[in-house]
Amino acid sequence: MSVDLDHTPRCLLVSDRSSFLHEKNRINSQVEQLNFNYKVSLLLPECGSTPSHLDSMLNNFSTFYLIRKLPIYELLDKRFLETAVYQGCVYGLSYRTRIDEDICVALMPNGHLCLSLDKDSFQVLGVEGKASRFSHRTKSRYVVSVDMTESSMVPGGRGYLRLLTGLKSRLPLKSDFLLSHHPGGGASLQALLSRYDWSEHKPEVSTHALTCLSCPTQLTSIPPNFDPHSFLEWLGAVDADISCENSSCSFLSSLACPEPKTMLSQALRVSVCGLLLPQDILRLIQEIRCYLDQPQLQSWVALTVHGFVDSPVSWGGREHGALRGGENFYTLLMGEDHTYHLHLVTGAHDTCPP
Amino acid sequence: MSVFMDLNLIYTGDRTGLRTLLETAAHLGFSTVAINYVFEPTSKKKQVKIVSSVCKHLCLYQGRSRPIRVLNRLTVVMSDSSHFRPNATEYRSFDLLAVQPTTEKLFHAACMLYDVDIICISVSEKLPFFFKRAPVNGAADRGVVFEVSYSAAIRDSTLRRYTIANAINLMESCKGRNVILSSAAEKALELRGPYDVTNLGLLFGLSDGDAKEAVCSTCRSVLLHAETRKTASGIIYTMRSCSDSAGQEGAPGDPEHGGSIIDSQTIKPSLASDD
Repeated sequence: MSVDLDHTPRCLLVSDRSSFLHEKNRINSQVEQLNFNYKVSLLLPECGSTPSHLDSMLNNFSTFYLIRKLPIYELLDKRFLETAVYQGCVYGLSYRTRIDEDICVALMPNGHLCLSLDKDSFQVLGVEGKASRFSHRTKSRYVVSVDMTESSMVPGGRGYLRLLTGLKSRLPLKSDFLLSHHPGGGASLQALLSRYDWSEHKPEVSTHALTCLSCPTQLTSIPPNFDPHSFLEWLGAVDADISCENSSCSFLSSLACPEPKTMLSQALRVSVCGLLLPQDILRLIQEIRCYLDQPQLQSWVALTVHGFVDSPVSWGGREHGALRGGENFYTLLMGEDHTYHLHLVTGAHDTCPP
Repeated sequence: MSVFMDLNLIYTGDRTGLRTLLETAAHLGFSTVAINYVFEPTSKKKQVKIVSSVCKHLCLYQGRSRPIRVLNRLTVVMSDSSHFRPNATEYRSFDLLAVQPTTEKLFHAACMLYDVDIICISVSEKLPFFFKRAPVNGAADRGVVFEVSYSAAIRDSTLRRYTIANAINLMESCKGRNVILSSAAEKALELRGPYDVTNLGLLFGLSDGDAKEAVCSTCRSVLLHAETRKTASGIIYTMRSCSDSAGQEGAPGDPEHGGSIIDSQTIKPSLASDD
């Protein structure tokens, strides 16, 4: 018997093609549904330095907070719920917890608290939950999803007290937590932050100028010249600084730029890392559309947004798991006449992107 | 906890080498490892001694606050049925018990009768027998797992062929259930990270999900099986009385029937398990 090695690790790819001017385009809802974004990378062809308005936009992403060793029951604190969760959008994610090894916690802007637990912890916590959709033979991961805006979860309600007792006495969970609040910034989170060791962080921007980059031609043509897989592989290689020469003397990488290709004399690669909000990403997309409106040498910009690998939720609050990679990201290739190609990718243990 | 485990690190007598091995395993992300003492009854050495308190300060594993958990394991290489003596007192000081049968009769006996946790599949030679469904299913029903080691494949190309051939034969019979993948590493360079071992499992004929389970949840079930075996189905629970290794025992299970504890210390149960 021979082993079938033709199967590469499975991934889900959804491609969408539309125009920003079309009234039924779904780009806004697709961007907003990915709540927890870790990294945004931009590839600007034929560009030596970041244009000023894009630069100021990138440097003005919302700040986020890191709280060390936050007991998770504090997220159920009455004052925190009233000042932050019920009012606007709180984005919270446990930091440095691995999705297939530890307990991961996410607080979504719609007031849902999601916990991804292993079997022992789930049994000790004693709150209603479901087995993970991605269990293979044995159920080893469980997901507890609680809507904090529901009537039973009002402070003092039955469900609320049960979860609070569970997190306080039966399973005292503590982890580092990333927190961000959309309209209000840090003011509404002050009550929670003041009790623990916290620090404020600005998303880190890094810029890298590339020279002599081989690039596929006519990227934004309709119908597209390339299949999404080869385009995304090329873009990923550029982002990760992997050579696409495919020279015979190098065994490190056999990735190659898809044909037909051209040579760009220069390109700019910009990336922003941190807990990034979808609203900031939407504003960035608007800025890039303005940039493309000006006369350019090249007519496209590629924007890639990566979600957190260890987040228990991905698009739309649906469950996210990690088989080996846990990747969930989307790439938006914007053309000069307000058209775009959107590719949404997740790994094997994930629900289909919208 | 479904965390990654490597249940086979060979003990070679070199303490510095062992310490480096444990540090590498912790760095790669394994939360639990087992030091394997291989005992061959036919060889000159009769005694196997456990190295007590191997590392005074166990290294923290990859970004966690808990140190890596180190267990002791005994592997008996059997070429005759008298080599494995059930209920021998020497076996009590080991957390895990494994056998490596070399003939078909011994394999059948190990699967159906012997009170062990792991059956090792030999990788240094082409197996002289085929795996039959009946003993393999019998072992699966009892909770005994089969182990495939990969470091021999790293060392030598002939052994690589034998490893893959034997592993594929095993997977045909057991359908990927009840298999663990471990390193049998003697040096730190022979260890691989958990996701790499998962990919290696694909080469051995396991599916994606099975390969990942072979490194985490099946290993966890081996540890629970070993505890049940040692505690006589959960009725009697013993704990070592010296204080520095009491922390290492760290067993999550509570005695099922809340039986007696053979020690003067009171042990506070940390997690209730109703497995």
